[in-house]
Amino acid sequence: MDVLPRRAVMKGGLLAALAFTIGDRVVYLSPGEAHAQGVALRTLKAEEAETLGSLCEALVPDARKAGIVEYIDQQISGPPSEALLQARILNVRPPFANFYRAAVGAVDKGVAARHAGKRFAQLSSDEARSFIKDMQANKIEGWQGPGTGFVYTVLRTDAVDVVYNTVAGYEALGVPYQAHILPPKKW
Amino acid sequence: MANEKVDVVIVGAGASGSAFAATLAKAGKKVVLLDSGPDWKNEDLISSEMWGRRIRPAGPPFLHEGKNPFGYVGQAGWGVGGAALHYFANFPRYLPTDFKMKSEHNKGLDWPISYEDVAPYYDKVADEVGVSGDAKSEEIWRPAGKPYPMPPMKVFKAGQIWKKAADSVGMRLVPAAVGMNSVEYKGREACIYDGWCSSGCPTGALANPLVTYLAEARAAKAEVRPMSTVTRVLTNAEGTRAIGVEYFDGKRERQVQEASIVILAAWTGQNPRILLNSATDKHPNGLANKSGLVGKYIMTHHIANAWAMMDEDVQPHMGTVGAQYMSYDRYPKTTNPNAFGSSYIVAGTSFKMHDYAGSRGDLFGPELAAHMKKAAKGLIRMNMFGEEKPNAENRVELVTQKDEFGMPLAKIVHSYDEDAVALWNANIDAGAKVAKATGAKETWSPRGGMPTSHLHGGTIMGKDGGSSVVDSYGQTHDISNLWIAGPGVFPTEGASNPTYTIFAVARRGADQLVSKWGSVAG
Repeated sequence: MDVLPRRAVMKGGLLAALAFTIGDRVVYLSPGEAHAQGVALRTLKAEEAETLGSLCEALVPDARKAGIVEYIDQQISGPPSEALLQARILNVRPPFANFYRAAVGAVDKGVAARHAGKRFAQLSSDEARSFIKDMQANKIEGWQGPGTGFVYTVLRTDAVDVVYNTVAGYEALGVPYQAHILPPKKW
Repeated sequence: MANEKVDVVIVGAGASGSAFAATLAKAGKKVVLLDSGPDWKNEDLISSEMWGRRIRPAGPPFLHEGKNPFGYVGQAGWGVGGAALHYFANFPRYLPTDFKMKSEHNKGLDWPISYEDVAPYYDKVADEVGVSGDAKSEEIWRPAGKPYPMPPMKVFKAGQIWKKAADSVGMRLVPAAVGMNSVEYKGREACIYDGWCSSGCPTGALANPLVTYLAEARAAKAEVRPMSTVTRVLTNAEGTRAIGVEYFDGKRERQVQEASIVILAAWTGQNPRILLNSATDKHPNGLANKSGLVGKYIMTHHIANAWAMMDEDVQPHMGTVGAQYMSYDRYPKTTNPNAFGSSYIVAGTSFKMHDYAGSRGDLFGPELAAHMKKAAKGLIRMNMFGEEKPNAENRVELVTQKDEFGMPLAKIVHSYDEDAVALWNANIDAGAKVAKATGAKETWSPRGGMPTSHLHGGTIMGKDGGSSVVDSYGQTHDISNLWIAGPGVFPTEGASNPTYTIFAVARRGADQLVSKWGSVAG
């Protein structure tokens, strides 16, 4: 029987790593490293990325630095069958880019209707917080896109993934990771 | 392209398909298993909630309707091993009352068999795949059976707290029966309680198909073909016999696999989808559907969660996602005067990051960050699974949209009835009472949307072809060499996690198929 010995910590293979593009080179990085290195986005437009980053940072502190934008951009730029996104197990229909585009577009339109044409990234902390609370409660008037509560849930989960759901995230929270097989450090 | 004819083609290499495959291959039958996903190996099972999503489907061939749409993808599997590659391995039995709902309560349906018919297979499966627990302690609720082959799993602080609290309010908890190794078993390692079970256990300590029935099937020369998506069961010109299946391989090329016996053991929603898509002029409403019941009586469990935040460090990351303790105290279907149905209780599971975050889905920003710090030290949970009655309006049916192979998508229509809603609320109240008895300053029991968990029904068993799709062994009433396996054949769902019963019913069906092979295979 082909089973692994206990606590057989293995290196994650490059096949499991996340590939980012810098210039004309493909490199394997964690989302945080991709953010720090300013990796060019493949699918998200600048405004979409800005909204996504701002919203996720408001949902889970440190999400932007942990590379939430680069992570989602990388994930929605590849085959859905290889995606690690929570959207995969929440009945979001591929291509996942459609969901994220619709979500951040709806957020900015909802914000603009309330705050005289502003975008989410331009809101004060209190304004952002109030908007998110109304997202939770499905109380955004004129919202057009995936359900507000659902968008809140998916993006919050993505942000939890990059901030907490890594070996570094476990360490930061003081929780032993205890892997049988470690995920790759370079995604 | 046609392949060499085999004795048996099995659609789906998950729990029930693997059990059938092992039994038939060991009986000398030439078996081919077709699975729509990758051929996962133990070394693919990375310890990560994120990487663990790869063993779930990506993108639904199912649409969802109804007041309580079924949460499809997280519960289903993708690839060899199926959903049992990431299941929690809680192994409670169904109880005698589950087989006699109609007879005892004039509600729902009866199974065509009784607990006594399945019980010997519970004992067999326990020995075959390995179950840890204390069978004797369960006998306060169920008939006696054989002891489990392994002693109960280790109890951690969370379990100790729930046990003490339950004792104080008169709820009986006993060691949970789980398909995990508390000690080394059949050459498979004992569990080391790291809690990565639902990302896939690579050590062999958890009884997933890769290390149990599928390993046995492969050793007996069964062939597994991954990335093979079955779209139709094929029949002869008269419509009296299944002759094989049509599928698309990893290169998207159409293939035909002929076989003497066809067994549909795909996901519970997928079996009806294939049957309905296999309609011919002889079977205009789909195969095995003279009753009109293919796709009908879909059922799910609802779950009531009781959370508590302890001040002490309870090491919530230690243990398994299976339970440390279980209880059938609320299993009698009339436990609650105004909420019919069984409830099954588990307490003391290990947590990962999404458990911490998901336990308070309403929190975000700095409040979430503070909650994560507390939860990582002190979070504990008790779950109550609840039953819903079979209802023909809850169903799987085809829609006009099609997938990449030209196969119609299906939709799952599901709504809970008043009994289920009332039972869920009663279970929340009962769980909250135990949570308060833990002494925690902070306890909570969310009442958001009603969860759905574990899909059953859609190809139910019964005594005749007018009221059911298959008999108690999984043989369809309409076409004798077409069989169906998995929880889709259950006419009621009880409240117990289903996989132990899936294994037991499949093993019983497989033994029957072997014993009557000559008359069925033709």
